[in-house]
Amino acid sequence: MLGYIWQYFYASFFRYWLKWFIRQVTGKCELQRICSGYKPGATRTTKAEYSLQSSKNKVLRNALQASSDDLEQCVDQIMQEKNVKAQKDPRFKESLQLCLFQITGYKSLYASVEDLRKEVFDSEKLEHETMLLKLWDLLMPTVKLESRVTKQWGDIGFQGDDPKTDFRGMGLLGLINLVFFSENYTDAARQVLFHANHPKLGYSYAIVGINLTEMAYSLLKSGALKPHFYNTILGKPELQHFHQLYCYLAYEFDKFWVAEEPESIMQFNHYREKFHSQVKAQLQDPNVSLTLTVHPKN
Amino acid sequence: MGLLSILRKLKSTPDQEVRILLLGLDNGGKTTLLKQLASEDISHITPTQGFNIKSVQSQGFKLNVWDIGGQRKIRPYWRNYFENTDVLIYVIDSADRKRFEETGQELAELLDEEKLSGVPLLIFANKQDLLTAAPASEIAEGLNLHTIRDRVWQIQSCSALTGEGIQEGMNWVCKSVNAKKK
Repeated sequence: MLGYIWQYFYASFFRYWLKWFIRQVTGKCELQRICSGYKPGATRTTKAEYSLQSSKNKVLRNALQASSDDLEQCVDQIMQEKNVKAQKDPRFKESLQLCLFQITGYKSLYASVEDLRKEVFDSEKLEHETMLLKLWDLLMPTVKLESRVTKQWGDIGFQGDDPKTDFRGMGLLGLINLVFFSENYTDAARQVLFHANHPKLGYSYAIVGINLTEMAYSLLKSGALKPHFYNTILGKPELQHFHQLYCYLAYEFDKFWVAEEPESIMQFNHYREKFHSQVKAQLQDPNVSLTLTVHPKN
Repeated sequence: MGLLSILRKLKSTPDQEVRILLLGLDNGGKTTLLKQLASEDISHITPTQGFNIKSVQSQGFKLNVWDIGGQRKIRPYWRNYFENTDVLIYVIDSADRKRFEETGQELAELLDEEKLSGVPLLIFANKQDLLTAAPASEIAEGLNLHTIRDRVWQIQSCSALTGEGIQEGMNWVCKSVNAKKK
């Protein structure tokens, strides 16, 4: 309770008095202090995001909603509002612009991911079908698919004879992630599939993959992935960076599963939650970087 | 009556726990149904690997609902969850006519299980929101439900997506539990 009261007073009054006081002493505004005080990355960008968000100035708050083409102009406006002279602080403009690229980029990444998730897998669409068959060929290069609807799909971990019903709430996003992993980290993906087909410790490769897409998606949606993207992508994060993160989860989950030696596949949700908590704990570290350590092919 | 005595009274009549088993083929809609029962978001559902469990309060009961994955590979594990089941809910995708035979076989096997003998059976003829869905009466006939003599049963058409029909089904569940416990 006392904590809440303090937080209320701090956020609505003391923070401004404190900022004003420090500004008088150092001659620098909060954003300048953030940009010069921290290296590019999650700490700097997160602090800048908070500072802009809680600003009383509309120009500063609106910068968070700007499109990437307008960012340079936004930074100029902010410098004008805050009376920052480019000659005195030559690196400020570039630093703040990078922060804004990362902050607004995260939001637009979520929008693109959401679009793909909402796109339902449709057997009538050649593009979707081609992608599905490509997944088979990448994972099972020596085995030919006998027909489009076949029990063979079970060999790469779909539930029934036709994978189309397995994408469900993750839509095309689930398939694209599966294909991305198999295409860019073919050896790693086949190794994971090999583990998944273990008679005792096995799991269903494809549907666990779709489940991990859900994990990646909900981490993105909640904002939990911000530190990861702010640290690893010094610019606007793109869809491929989200697919990369999926690859990390797919590979690491497999390692985790094999090490835990679960009793049977029925324990999946228990271990999924355990893995999920582990990932969330990693994301608390300001230096977090969830990057797959195996090298992509080529 | 003071607040404390009300609390005490509430505590002295804890909700009766009911174990409900949710089975059926993959892509039948079991998890969507479970999430609807718990009033949770149903837009991000993925295939169930293993099982999900949720507890829902309803009509003085605490319903512990076990949603077990339906893919062929894990059907052999279904039997691990039979013990102490109060009601069996079997979910059918009414629009997936190609698999009516398969779903009928799985149901017939369940009804032969000793550990499930006499357990009330509710069949949800799900996905009635789809134009191609078969009506509950047709499914009942196809599954020869009228030949079931060893338990009470009911077929209820529903759409787990829109929520239609679910409450009616759950009312039947609570009624049959009441009848059984008396």
